[in-house]
Amino acid sequence: MNTAQAPEPIGGSPQPAGTALLRRALPRGIRGDAMLGDLLEEWRARSGTGRATCWFWRQALSVAIRYAGRRDREPEHTTAHQRSIRMAFDNLRQDVRFAIRSYAKAPSFTLAILTTLALGVGASTAIFSMVNGILLRPLPLPDADRLVYANELGREGGQISVSWPNFLDWQSRAHSIQNFALSREEPLTLTGIERPERVRARRTTANFLQVVGVQPRLGRSFNAADDRPGAEPTVVVSHEFWQTRMGGDAGVLGTPLLLDGRAHTVIGVMPPGFRYLRAYDLFVPMGPILGDRFLYDRGNHQGYNAVGRLVPGVSVETAARELVAIALDLQREHPDTNSGIGVRLEPLATRLVAQVRLTLLVLFGAVGCLLLVACVNVANLLIARGAARQHELAVRAALGGGRFRLMMQMLAESTLVSAAGGILGVAVASWLLRLLIAVAPEGTPRLDEVRIDTMACLFALAAAGVCGIVFGAFPAFQASGIQGQAALTRSRSAGASASSHRLRRGLMVVEVALALVLLTGAGLMMRTLGEITRVETGFQPAHLLTMRFSLTGDRWTEPRRQQFFTDVLTGVRGTPGVTNAALAFSLPIEGSNWNSIFIVRDKPIPPRPELPNAAFVPVSDGYFETMGTRLLAGRLFDAMDTPASPAVTVVNDRLAKRLWPGENAIGKSIKQGWPEGPGTWRQVIGVIADVKFEGVTVETPMQVYLPLTQESSRSLAIVVRTPAEPAAITSSVQTVVHQLDKDLPIYAVRTMDQLLDTSMARERMSMSIFVVFAVVALTLASVGLSGVVAHGVTERTHEIGVRMALGAEPRHVRGLVVRQGLSMALAGTVLGIAGAMAVSRSVQGLLFGVTATDPITFGTVAAMLLGVALVACYIPAWRATRVDPTMALRAE
Amino acid sequence: MAPVTTLGEFEQLLLLAVLRLDAEAYGASIARELEATAGRAVSRGALYTSLDRLEDKGLLRWAAAKGTPARNGLPRRLYIVTPAGVAALRDSRAILRRMWRGVEHLLKDSAS
Repeated sequence: MNTAQAPEPIGGSPQPAGTALLRRALPRGIRGDAMLGDLLEEWRARSGTGRATCWFWRQALSVAIRYAGRRDREPEHTTAHQRSIRMAFDNLRQDVRFAIRSYAKAPSFTLAILTTLALGVGASTAIFSMVNGILLRPLPLPDADRLVYANELGREGGQISVSWPNFLDWQSRAHSIQNFALSREEPLTLTGIERPERVRARRTTANFLQVVGVQPRLGRSFNAADDRPGAEPTVVVSHEFWQTRMGGDAGVLGTPLLLDGRAHTVIGVMPPGFRYLRAYDLFVPMGPILGDRFLYDRGNHQGYNAVGRLVPGVSVETAARELVAIALDLQREHPDTNSGIGVRLEPLATRLVAQVRLTLLVLFGAVGCLLLVACVNVANLLIARGAARQHELAVRAALGGGRFRLMMQMLAESTLVSAAGGILGVAVASWLLRLLIAVAPEGTPRLDEVRIDTMACLFALAAAGVCGIVFGAFPAFQASGIQGQAALTRSRSAGASASSHRLRRGLMVVEVALALVLLTGAGLMMRTLGEITRVETGFQPAHLLTMRFSLTGDRWTEPRRQQFFTDVLTGVRGTPGVTNAALAFSLPIEGSNWNSIFIVRDKPIPPRPELPNAAFVPVSDGYFETMGTRLLAGRLFDAMDTPASPAVTVVNDRLAKRLWPGENAIGKSIKQGWPEGPGTWRQVIGVIADVKFEGVTVETPMQVYLPLTQESSRSLAIVVRTPAEPAAITSSVQTVVHQLDKDLPIYAVRTMDQLLDTSMARERMSMSIFVVFAVVALTLASVGLSGVVAHGVTERTHEIGVRMALGAEPRHVRGLVVRQGLSMALAGTVLGIAGAMAVSRSVQGLLFGVTATDPITFGTVAAMLLGVALVACYIPAWRATRVDPTMALRAE
Repeated sequence: MAPVTTLGEFEQLLLLAVLRLDAEAYGASIARELEATAGRAVSRGALYTSLDRLEDKGLLRWAAAKGTPARNGLPRRLYIVTPAGVAALRDSRAILRRMWRGVEHLLKDSAS
């Protein structure tokens, strides 16, 4: 029974750090040592497993609790200093205990203040976590601040991709960039496995991984040999791909992967979680495609962009200046291809978050407003309480409570409520954050890095601290006006708290103003979403299903492809539930996959930088009928348009009006490419209505449609119209394709409505968040307003009683009270409109179809706020008139 | 001094456990003895505060003893019952005996 254990290594104990902490809670000296020794001995006797550890801590806690505060049973001599510290500590404990008791005595007050804090702190912490994770935290790459991203700028100033020869010149001439790599996203078809699949791949120069600073965990990175023209294809796979598709097999190096019909040898596996802009399955080198002559055309911008590592100590600005100078040199050296082509270089992190930056900052501003509303509300609540406790505090002061002691008491109370609010806030934030991540638009960068971390917790505590302590304790203390006897001798109902009331009214005005700013934001976002959904898209999105396939590899010769297109269309159109079907190279909303310059036969050819540019879209016959796009003039493509028949084209209204204003476009001819290029002249046979191409909010570009029979493609979308729910026919369409070729992966299966929804996801999210914030702010403000007015009524019970006794009509009294409340709301509204105007410029970028100072929105919002304020004031006013005059007078 | 100290039930159990353990009475062994013989599982917090109380009343004394590897070399406090403690136990037993007198036939199955 005694010590029957096997010899144990001395020093072993459950959680050594915890044990060290426990030691501090136990009595000092041999007593505590013996207790700890007993506990350890018994823990070992209970085999030291998890259950024993559980027992250990339960017992340790029971000892620690019993001995808390009597650590010094055998006090050596205590110095005066130690005694004063102990006394301060005792005072603090008393204050905290008193605070807990006083909160418990006023549960509705406590609930109000905690709810306010939890909402304000929770919402702001959640948005802060997003901002921190996406905008502030450095990229998870070594020395990420030295990574820069570069792309070229088109003649109209828009961003375009980098041409290969230009990149080679950058690489050889730029001195401020140590190492410069080029890469592009290049989806590949993976075959030779059970289900053929479209995988996310990135084609890169061999030095790419070296530039971003991450080496494969297994195997090697690309080297110069992989980048030689005609090199044997190699591939580096992501850790996730290796785990899920290759079973995490350690012998994976050297095995082949069949990509786009070619065997690629696996040479490396990346470390888990590696991302460049986004997650990729595979990385492939440039080598195998360097034989492509199009790559060497300086005027060809084929989707590549550059990433570089700055020479240590060189700033982004210096590097940008150098690159701009190089681009200017290239313009002079190659005027045909490079005139008007600029360059833009920025930190990689900036580029990554460019699209979400503004949204996040505006939301952060909004949540800041909400937090301020919460602060003001907390201040109001605490001031009201402070004023109510004036008498109590005055009594305590009179009985010898020092000014400092009383202030400490108030500080303890607000610290306690702040801490509780902060903790609740973190809980609310983690819940909210999960919601935010779930509704965040597809493709939001770095979303997987967003979480509640130490920074977020610190932020929450700081926010709660500012809210509760700065906005709470000091005004409350001020309001309580502890001035020794003065408060005792003064009558309780007289204007003793006039200063506190003034303060509360001032705060109320600010709160209303802040609520109005948020309401305006919500209103503008709602208008924006409304405008977007009303945009004329140029086609009928309902009941449309889309999916994509790619015919990759050498076996898909031109005749075989044409045959396949015909077979697919025949098969899909014959499927039950399908009204019509067609093929297209690019889909509306999703964006153009082929932009090109072109020339017009009957007009003088402009200088090169001014050549017109259009979105070119090869489509099958039946495409416009399937999409529901209106024909404005001429005819559509039909079965008579074959490879052998004259080359034809259908253009959109915008192109026709721009190139042939006031003329009939039908019968004119255009040619894609450079004026001296080998392209064919195509006759315009029809003009169709404009279709929104790049999302809903971007202006429709000039569009040129070509018959698929005359301009073939390897990657196409199938569009299917059905009278039924489009998603329901997905599998039957897939079956048709797989019957023709079982190895063809089908991807990006979506209904057109989903595509539209996705394109509005950002606006929808901003709107939802703004509306929630605005509703919370409006609620807080109206409750606050009601409270301040009610407080005013209580203070003036006597006066109201006198007025009514002297014959004042109830409606006069009501009018008096409501007028006072509304004057605050009105002042707040004016201030709020001014504030909203001041910040309007920063939100303009998020709006569509409405200006940031839209008078309709401002008017509606102000009217709504005043309406709510009227109700909020009327309730206490109505109660005021129910004051019984005799009671009111007797109350004195 | 005399029999002013009346012992609580738990105090009696503690003093008896210390006596039963003879020279080997320290925190952990007392707890084990209480559990094994009296069937009482006791929280260590309650155990140590009760032992301290008995010490304050002068019924227990303790001396430090070397630790074992099983307790990371931490010392043990070995308890012994003072003469006053023994007297208090005697008094308690006498009180109980007096109280039992004449009622034992009511609790026949009891073996005391």
